[in-house]
Formats: sequence, C-alpha cells, structure tokens
Amino acid sequence: MNRLKNLPTLRIDAERVLSFTYRGKTCQGLEGDTVATALYANGVRVFGRSLKYHRPRGLYSLDGECSNTMMEVDGVPNVRAEATVLASGMTVKPQNIKGSPEFDLMGFMDGLSWAMPAGFYYRVFHKPARIWPAAIKQIRQAAGLGTLSPDFRMKGRFDEIYPAAEVCVIGGGPAGMAAALAAAEQGLRVILLESRPWLGGAFEYRTTADSSGTALFESARELARKVERTAGIRIFTHAPVVGVYTDGQVTAVQRGGADQSFDERYIEIRARSVVAATGCIERPLLFENNERPGIMQTECALRLARTWGILPGSEAVFSIGHDQGLEAAIDLCDLGLKVAVVADTREDGQDALLLDALAQRRIPFLKGWVAQKAHGSRQISSATLSSLNGHFNRELPCDLLVASAGLTPVTGPLTLAEAKLSYDSRTGFFLPNELPAWLYAAGRLLGLAHFEAIAASGRLAGLRAAQRCGAEAAAGIRDCESRLKELPGPVRGSKFVSAPRAGKKAFVCFDEDTTLKNVDQAMDMGFDVPELIKRFTSAGTGPGQGGIPGHNLPLYVNQSGSSPDSQPRPTLTRPPLVPTLMAAYAGAGHAMAKRTPLHELQKADGGRMETVGDWKRARRFSDDVRCRAEITNVRTNVGLLDASTLGKFRLFGPDALKALQRVYVSDMSRMHAGKAKYSAMCNDDGCLTDDGVIVQTGESEYYFTTSTGRAGVTSEWIRYHTRFDNWDFSLVNLTDAYGVINIAGPNARAVLSKVTPAAVDNEAFPYMGYREFDVGGVAVRALRLGFVGELSYELHVPSSWMAGVWGVLTEAGREFGIRNFGLEAQNALRLDKGHIIIGSESEQRTTLHDLGLGFLWHRHKPEARTVGDGALRHTEKQSGRLKLVGLKMEDASAQPPGDGSPIVDKRIRGYVCTARYSVALKEPVGMALVEEGLAAEGSRLAIYEDGCEGRLIYAKVAKKPFYDPEGERLRS
Amino acid sequence: MAFLITCPLCGPRDAYEFRFGGEDKGPRPDPETLSPEAWCDYVHMADSRFGVQKEWWYHRRGCGTWFTIYRDTVKNIEVSSNDREADQ
Amino acid sequence: MFLKFNRLWKESPLKSSYDAVIIGGGLHSLAAAYFLASRHNIRDVAVIEKKFIGCGAAGRNTAIVRANQRTQENIPLYKEALDLWPILTKELDFNLMFYNCGNLNLAHSDAAMKAFRMNVATAQFHGVNSQLVDARQCKELVPALDITDRPRFPIFGGMFHPPGGIVRHDAVVWGLARGGAKLGVHIHQGTEVTGIGVKNGKVAWVDTDKGRIQTTKVLNAAGAYSAGIAFKCLGQRLPISVLTIQAMVTQPLKPLLHHVVSSGAYHAYANQTLKGEIATGAHMDPWPNYTNQSTAHYIKHQAEAIGEMLPCLRGVKFMRIWGGLADMTPDMAPILDGNVPVEGYYMDCGWGYFGFKSSTVAGKYMAQYVATGECPEMLKPFRLKRFEEHRLMGETAALVDYTANN
Repeated sequence: MNRLKNLPTLRIDAERVLSFTYRGKTCQGLEGDTVATALYANGVRVFGRSLKYHRPRGLYSLDGECSNTMMEVDGVPNVRAEATVLASGMTVKPQNIKGSPEFDLMGFMDGLSWAMPAGFYYRVFHKPARIWPAAIKQIRQAAGLGTLSPDFRMKGRFDEIYPAAEVCVIGGGPAGMAAALAAAEQGLRVILLESRPWLGGAFEYRTTADSSGTALFESARELARKVERTAGIRIFTHAPVVGVYTDGQVTAVQRGGADQSFDERYIEIRARSVVAATGCIERPLLFENNERPGIMQTECALRLARTWGILPGSEAVFSIGHDQGLEAAIDLCDLGLKVAVVADTREDGQDALLLDALAQRRIPFLKGWVAQKAHGSRQISSATLSSLNGHFNRELPCDLLVASAGLTPVTGPLTLAEAKLSYDSRTGFFLPNELPAWLYAAGRLLGLAHFEAIAASGRLAGLRAAQRCGAEAAAGIRDCESRLKELPGPVRGSKFVSAPRAGKKAFVCFDEDTTLKNVDQAMDMGFDVPELIKRFTSAGTGPGQGGIPGHNLPLYVNQSGSSPDSQPRPTLTRPPLVPTLMAAYAGAGHAMAKRTPLHELQKADGGRMETVGDWKRARRFSDDVRCRAEITNVRTNVGLLDASTLGKFRLFGPDALKALQRVYVSDMSRMHAGKAKYSAMCNDDGCLTDDGVIVQTGESEYYFTTSTGRAGVTSEWIRYHTRFDNWDFSLVNLTDAYGVINIAGPNARAVLSKVTPAAVDNEAFPYMGYREFDVGGVAVRALRLGFVGELSYELHVPSSWMAGVWGVLTEAGREFGIRNFGLEAQNALRLDKGHIIIGSESEQRTTLHDLGLGFLWHRHKPEARTVGDGALRHTEKQSGRLKLVGLKMEDASAQPPGDGSPIVDKRIRGYVCTARYSVALKEPVGMALVEEGLAAEGSRLAIYEDGCEGRLIYAKVAKKPFYDPEGERLRS
Repeated sequence: MAFLITCPLCGPRDAYEFRFGGEDKGPRPDPETLSPEAWCDYVHMADSRFGVQKEWWYHRRGCGTWFTIYRDTVKNIEVSSNDREADQ
Repeated sequence: MFLKFNRLWKESPLKSSYDAVIIGGGLHSLAAAYFLASRHNIRDVAVIEKKFIGCGAAGRNTAIVRANQRTQENIPLYKEALDLWPILTKELDFNLMFYNCGNLNLAHSDAAMKAFRMNVATAQFHGVNSQLVDARQCKELVPALDITDRPRFPIFGGMFHPPGGIVRHDAVVWGLARGGAKLGVHIHQGTEVTGIGVKNGKVAWVDTDKGRIQTTKVLNAAGAYSAGIAFKCLGQRLPISVLTIQAMVTQPLKPLLHHVVSSGAYHAYANQTLKGEIATGAHMDPWPNYTNQSTAHYIKHQAEAIGEMLPCLRGVKFMRIWGGLADMTPDMAPILDGNVPVEGYYMDCGWGYFGFKSSTVAGKYMAQYVATGECPEMLKPFRLKRFEEHRLMGETAALVDYTANN
C-alpha cells in the first residue's frame, strides 16, 4: 500500500523497509510501524476472532483498549499488535481461529449467541449432572485466546530499575510535560512517564492551529524539546504505567529494543508527589455490529493517516459525538479520504468553525443522528444511520465507519490510588473529587480541551506537587490559578451511549462478547450495580482491562433506571493497567539461596546440596540415601560436618543478663567461665521455638547459638520482648561472620590435637566446655558438644578462614580416614540419642513439657518475666496433650516407618516424627508425638503409613536415648 | 500497597522493610499471678478495630528498632498521633 | 435453552423482627441462611450485608477446594464440603461449576515430603484420596513444571489429591442467595450492622443503619470483618489477625494446566480457570487491615516465583491482581462457637485461607447450632476457649509468622 508522504506528523521512515511474516507470507512494513499498522498497510482487516462468538475483529483503537488485535508474535501469545513496534524478521500469527481470520470455521458460533445469554453457564450444563464433565472439556477448548506450549521459553532481555524522585508525572502530553517542567524549575528531581514511544500525547498529530497560528502538533513538539533539554527531568517513553500504590509508589514497564540494553524493563518508582495527566481515550459508540472490521475510533483513523501515513479506507461514514470527531473528518478529507457523511449525536454545541469547514468541503452533516447498524459479514460494506429517536434512517455504502461517542478520561491511575471519583454532569466524565494528599490530576482528563488550558492545568499540578516537596511555589500557584481562570474551562461532553434499537449485537465489551442485551438480562435478574453486572456478564474482565466498557457500562446502567444509584458509579480498575508479561515483572531474576563458606568444597566432595530454609546444605555425600558409611564413620572414627548455618550471636552490655533471662527458660545467672549452657527459648504459649548453647565470654558479655531457622529472627525476638524495659545491651548477629565445623567421632580429639597448640584432653577441655584457641594458626571458638552422641567439637571459625581451617582438619584427619558427613547422617546419629530437631520433633503447639524438656525451665525467676513462663506454669500438669516418646519396632528387622506416619486406633492418636535405621543398634529407632495414654514405655503403637491400605505396622514406646544412655561417649 | 512507615531512625520507608509486632498492649504482665484468661488476652486477643490503632513495628531490613506508630486500619496508612485524637 | 431472566432473589423490606439475624452477605452467611431455611425450617431469617452479597472474600478467593488438610478434626469437615458441591448444584438448580481437576502440592525438601506423608496418610485413613508422587510424576501431571535443579527450590515430589478442584465462587454466592430467598430468607444489601443489643446476658436486638431488628439469635459470619464487628458491637476481643491475601489472573490461554498446582516454598499456587486464565496467588501481607489493597511487591514476587516453577508462563501476561481479606487465627483453624460472650450470639470466623472451601459445610453445621442451640460434634474442636486452654489445633505445624508470638 502506498503511504501518505511528506506529512510533518509522520513517525515512519519510508526509506527503511522491514520484512516480517504473517501467516507464513512475507510482508513489508516500515521503520516506525507497529505490527498492527504494518498489517493494516498490507491490507489485513480481520485481525482475529472474538472469544465467545468468533466474530471477526479488526483494528479499532490504537491504545490497547480491547483484545481485537491480540496476536501471536514470535511464539508469544496475546501480544497487542497495535502497541508492539515492528521489528525485522518478526513472525506474526492470528489467534483463536480454525482456518483463517477471514474464514473461521468457528464463525457459526455467532449464530448461536441466542443460546448464550448473560451468565448462561450458571444455568445450563448441570442437568443432568453427568453432562457437566463433558461440558467442561468443551468449555475449556472453546475458551482462552493464545496457545502456549509447556516447553515454551520466553526469550529476551528483562531488566528492572528503582528510580526515586520528588515528583513523578504520569503522561507525556502537554499537561504532563508542563507539570514536569514546573516541578523541575523548582529544582526537584522529576520522572516523566509516557506510554507511547514519544512525548506529545493527543496533540502530537493534530494540525489544527492554536490561537497563535502554530499547529498543535508543533506546539506539542516544542514543549517536548524543552522537556528533553531540562536536566532535572528523567523521561521514560514507551513506558506505560501499570500500577499506582499508596504513598506515591508508581510502577511502569518500558519497552526497549535493539538500541537499548533491554527488551522490557520493570520500573518501580517512589515519589513524594505524583501528577496524573493521562488524558482521554474515546468512548465507544454502541450500535448493532459496532465492532465489525472497518469500524474504528476517530483517533485511530486519524493517527493511522497522520502518524503512519495510512489512509484507513476509501469511503467513510463518521458517527461521532465530539468536536475532535469533526476535526478528524475534515483532516482526513483533506488527506484524500472520501467522507460520505458526518453524523453527530449532539443536537447542538458544535464548534461553528468546524461546521463551516465541513460545509466548505461539501461533507453532508447530520445533527442528532447516529450510526444504528453496520452491515457486511467480515468487513463493513454499509452503515445505517438513524435519527436519535429512531424514526428516520438512511443506509450508506462505506468501507470505513469512524465511530465514537466522545471522550472518556483515563482514570486508571486515579482509581488505583484510591481517589474518589464521581460523575460530573457537564463533562459526562468520572472526575476525581477527593485525591490522596500526594496525588494531583491535570489536563484533558479533567475535561479541558484547549491546549493552553491543558498546559496551564499541568503547570498548576506540577507546582502543587513541588510545594508538597517543600518548594516555595505559592506565588507561582496563585499566578497559575488566575491564568487558568482566563482560559477555556472543561467542555460539555456527550452522554450518548447507545443507538436506538441496539441490543442483540451491540457490544459493550468486545473482549468478552458482552452485548447490551446481556446487560439487560443481568439487570432483569437483579444485578443492579455495574460492579455486579461486570461479574455476572464478565464485561470488562478481559485483556483490554475495561477500556471499552469502563465508561459505557455505568452510563448505560444508570440510564436504564434500574440502578439504585442516582448518578452513574464507576467500575473498579485493577493493576496492571496494561497487561504485563510475567517475564517483565520478574525482571532481572534474582532468586538467591545462601551458601556457606564451604559450599564449593562440599559440592566438590560430592555433597548433594538441598534447600534448607534460606540455605543450601549437603544432605549426603554418596548415593546411599541411608548414609551408612557416613554414620559408621562418625560412630567409629571421625567425621566433619559443615554446620555454618547455625545462628551465632554476641550479646553484651550491663543489662545483657536480664535480656537472656527474659528469653531463655533456664536460670542464665548460673553460668561458669569456660562452660557452655544448653537452654531453650519458648514463645508465650510455652512452646519451644529455639534451642542452643550460651557461653559467658566476659563481664556482661555472652556468645550464643540458635537453630538455623531462628537465626534471622532472634534479634527482633529479643528486642521485641525487652522493648518496654529500656535495658542497656547490644546484640550482634554473627551468623554470617562465623562458619561452624563440627568434628565428631572417637578420633576427633586425636585429629584436633594435631592442629592446635591448646590442650584438648578430657581434663583440659571437658564435655560442655568452651575454649578459645588456634587451629592451624586461626583463632577459633570451640565448644565441646555432643549432638550426634560422640566426642565432638564445634569450631566457630571466621567465615573467611573456614576453607583454610577445614583444609587443615582434613589434612590432619587423613591418616584416620576422616570424611564428610551430611545432614542425613547427622539426623540419624542424633536420633540414636533422642535429641530433637525443632520443627521435626515439635509442632507449633508443642510445649517444653511435651518434649520432656521441662527440666530446662527455671520457675523461680518471675522477676525476669520470661517469655513462656506463664504458659509453662499453666500447662505443667495439663493432661490430654501430645507427648514426645521414643519408639522401636516390634519386629526389629522391619523397615523404619515413614516420617510423618500417623499412629492410630479408631482415630489418630499421634504420629511418627522421625524414624531411621540405627546403624549402632542395628534396628530402627524413632521418636513420635503421641497422646498421653500411649506415652508409657512399652505401649503398642499402630502405625498407618501412606499407601498401606489398612495394613498397620506396630512399634512400641521405648526409652530414650537409645544409644549410650549414660552419655559416656560424649564425656570420654 | 506498600504504604510508608516512619521509622524513628531511618524515616519513611516501604512497609515491606518492616515486621508488624501487634497492637500495643503495654508491658508484660507478671507471669506468676496471671490467670489463663488474662494471659490469653495479653498474648492472643486483639481489638481488630476499624480505624486508628497504636501498634508495634520492627525495622527488619533496616536499623533493627522496635517502635510504635498509629495506623488507620481502614485506609491502611500511617497517621499522626493528632489524627488519632480526632478519631476518638 | 430458553432461559427466563427473573430476579435471582427478591428484595424485601427490612422487618422489625426476625427469628435469626446473620451478619455478613458472604458465603458462610448465605449458606447458614440457606441451611436454616431448608433443613431446620427457620425461614424468618435476615442476612445483613453492608455492601452487596459476595463482595468480600466470597468473590476474591482462590476458588480452590480440597480435603487434604493436616488433622483429623479438619478433614471430615472438608470432605463433606467436597461432597456438597454436586448436591448443592442439583438442589439449588444452579451450576456451581465444580471443576474436579485435582490438586498437586509440590514439595521442595525432605521436610516438606515428610509433612505431605502425614497429610496423605491422614487423608487416606479418613477415606480421602490423596497420594504421594515423585518429581517425575509431578511432571507427568503438570508438564509445564521445571523439575530440573535449576530453580531456587527444586521439586522433590508432591502430594496429589484427585478429589479437589475449583468451583466458580460467584455462582455459589448467587446460587445460595437464590435458594435461600426462595425459602423466605431476606437479604438486605447496603445495610450495616451498627450494634447488638444485650438484655440479661442474652441477645435482644440488632441495630442497623436502616433500623432496629428484634431477635434472639445472631450469627456473626462476616468473614474478615467479624473480628472488628465483635469488638465494635460486643467489645469481644478475638485471636484474629485480619490480613490481605492477593491473587491475580493472566490473560486467557487455551488449556495448559490441567490441575491446581501449588508450592509452599514459593508461596504460590496456579490453576487454569474454565475461561482459560491462569489464576495464581497466595501471598499474605502481614499487616492487619481492612482494605483490599494489592502491592507492587507481590505481583513482582509472583512473577518471579511462577516463572521458576512453571517457566513457560513467563511468556504470559498478568491481566489483573486483587486483594481480599483473611481472618487468621494463631493455629490456622477457625473459631466456631455459640453463646459466647452472650446467649444467642454465634460466631463463624477465623477461617483464614480456608473460608471458601469450607463455606457450605460450615453453613450447614452453624445452621444446626443456631437452630438447636447445641454444638454439633463436628464443630466441637473449634471452640474459642482453646486458645486460653493452651490447646491450639494442629492445622499448621510451623510457627505462623503473622503474630508477634513467634
């Protein structure tokens, strides 16, 4: 197709031809085209088929208000062709068709629309019940638009940025630009967001002259140049806003491309003030077949010509309700379009100059007339116009019907910001009457039409936004207010919604194929507010996100008289305001797991790394899921465990002891130098939340460990429970500063003594001792503990020295055959000893008493107001609780039951927490939480494993610890 | 919406940086004399009021301070203590 | 096919007295009203809704239904709830669109597999179909899953629960409203409860902004607003945190996901609605409030999480995100009680995540409770007193992070 040439408003480069394929055929577009304009230039009129009735759909608007031009581009479904810049080599396909868009085999669905009234699926397919599963299958196949393969992988570069600004302006038209300039003049940092690829807004393509004789588009471009030269303004074009949130948070997604470092990027802005200058879109006109290909909105027709050089048709009928419609008819006529007639829904109020211009061009003009029906099956061939009362009508041949009821403000950002909108009878708009303190509205969305007035309103908003940020703008605001008073105010808007006798095929929502008739049906069924009608008919819930029905639905409902509201009430808008790829939201992608200082070493040693809370840890070091070799090695020799994920804290200051007494259940005043104390923390329910060891390292100075899972919350826990006390203590989280190596097994001492000058014999460093000494020249903190039930040392090593100390120990242990053990071996080893792991042997509701750890609790320190103390008192003698017991299988040669298996009789009486084959005892051992009645030693436990189909296995309650009950090995 | 919370040390910051610490119920009661009912009231029960409440927050991804603010639960925004007077 | 377009329920003037008044126009209220009328012949019932029916959590939830809970106190309740969908569809003559697609929960660690083993065995013990599956079987059920070790949380296996699925939540609202109204229940929309009158320790009336109603029985089933209403009207404090949960849908696609799939580690679920949209969500904002606000943080988080779990969905667009309120208790089990703190006052609240899937069965048993004054066996474990008695229920094993007590 030949493009219009030499128009000053064009945004295409006629010299740069881009090739792409559409339905397997090579097509040509121009640099600057969108996918939709290139297709239109190639003669494509039917872009796709509608969701429910498979009606042909074409280019209707250019701002993505409907799903008409959603296509598959380069394998990505549901791409809005009119908002996607054409790139060389693109592959474009239509969606939701069987056959071609022009000849869709599902087209017969349109003839069945009578069978699909509003909410029909609620009322059919359930009688008889057996048809419903088959119906589901059919419904699923018919529904949905794009197709995606489970193996699809999104290509492209996705990025994210988090800029901050004092003022964020949404909308790069004259109002937004003036607002940005005004705020920047005050020395503030400004961000300006524009959804189109260039600034200028709705004036960007209008050639009408303003009062000074300059064409509007020239004025807009001049303003844009000024904005671009202003240092304080950061401009993001092609960056539609997707979200606006409390306290000045704005999100946008910017389209990039070959000349940028990204294809799409997520922008999250926090601003002190936000200016919404989003302008207007057009309000669709409702008549029979109002969405046939060949019918488009005024701006769409005009921009096709002015921006992309495409004359949208050859013979056109206009049915409009605003002066801009008249202006477009005149301009398009001048560009070579044959305009058969212009019908205006307004009886009066037109701009006289525009009427003169129409007359000069001999364009017939009908006041108080409207398009009533479009004819033509796949594409429009003629249109019937009618007087508003429906008494007179005329049918005119045409291949283009430019139809628009008028304008409607883009209020999405205001609604998201929870501004209160109410109906304004002059403009017919929903206008903000109550804005949050950080939000300002300006420009065309307030009903202004005059360029100067729009710019002045933008400037005023910009100054007010600046004032909130502390700028001295009061004088400027006064000037601006008086200037605005002199300029033309909001214009009267058309309230016309629907042509006479429109109903069955007059679409209020294109995406969901919702007709006026459907809305009537919903109202008959008692749905009387737009929000409910929306739910019942799904109008406005499709990919266009309410752009088409957003304004018409409330107006129509209100005009029908069945609404309980005296004034139209707007429907809700929700983020994202523009459909946004998950890949774009995900941005750069940064799912992170913490790694210990030994991570790579553990992996190199064959460690099977698994997710443990925030961390990755080695579960085992061989294919043997039971880890027998690792276990045996610890029991008989010596093993090394990376226990770096333990929480590690330093607590010091005059009131440090008070803080310990508050959170630990034991009497923390009884600490001895060089000796570690094991204790527990409970929550206020008396339930165990943490356990660990505490050592006193100096006068009012302590070092303690927490479980891996609690490391992240321990600081806030201690500070929370002391928040009223004004105690003087400091708390430092050393979890990441220190790694931990556990060296365990009968030969642990032999290995350790080789690498430290310190005495580590049983007398010098007894069980539960704490020492500070050098290992391989590195100062470590050493605790002699026995979680796995053998002689063992826990070495706390500065993280940066971990690999070195680990190497020294490995080297020293080589002669003994030292080797790694992982979490699974540790799990089995500690089970032999009946040691618990929080979360494994305890639930949220498990008290210290339930676990048999009540002895840790020191009841005689009420002045400490220990967390959990009250509940520990109340529950001490309480019956009917789940108690932790040890268990062995009745048949010692049986497999251990699966962790989590319920213990049952007629009902569930408890469950197995952990059970493993004990290498040392040569039989399975485990622990279980059981009802008190089953807790006595020797009680028979019937275990119901998943998949057992009623075949129970039996265990008996056994005394813990199972291994080395006297703890001789720990102390040796 | 991630509204802003004013940390006494760090100033207004995004709510996701903080941990909520419950309605303000005053200092810990004496555990020895505490009835189960009073205990439950202190530990578990909440007013859940429509409107402004005084509550605790912790600046988890920040300075690590526990502090109180007033917040309107119906609008989910921080309000000044003056607004609270007006509300009651 | 020739459907009539009669009103689903008729409007009635507010009377000055009712046998029972139910606060809230959500699913639990409408279900209780329907069962009072249909099973106990108590038809002089008013449902009082401040806005419009179904505007709260009833229309904002995930629509997921299942009966693979953790404890024996809960499973029978949810099992009966699953059985009720087809029964009610028939009884109400309204297609509730129960899509029995089954639910797959993913485990990303040994500990999670252990937890699932308990749930699965407990379900099987109660005759509920639930199975452990390995990672390969997960992939067979949901081919879009990434079961390599590339994601942040690699998939270990899962718990598959064939009887579950999704139900069209709005349909349940409208179906129950129509069913109740047919039997004489009055639904008063746009009416706010402002007070509850107590005389001699008994409920005597309910005040609304449209006038006083004399009644001796009040059921507070106002969902997330229950706690605020209890405090405002009776000064009753409850162990409830009212939190916003967010959910979102993508643009519609041809069938891709054939089961509900969810992951605790990612805090995300995803399922494909009959319309073809991928519905996903699960995040809870840990600050009590009465708004339905969504956040930028969350839609981004969800895109990251879903993009890891189901990487093909990175090429799909989010269309809409919304928030709804959940009233969370410290043990993630509801509070179902009566005659506390005054005779004639009943509460059905604290459902947290589970309000939708339980709505009909809770309505059924609460109706029995209200009608007879006797607590049905099924509801006995859910007394309010359990918190004071240190007897939390075991519906969650892990420490909940939305209270300051953990």
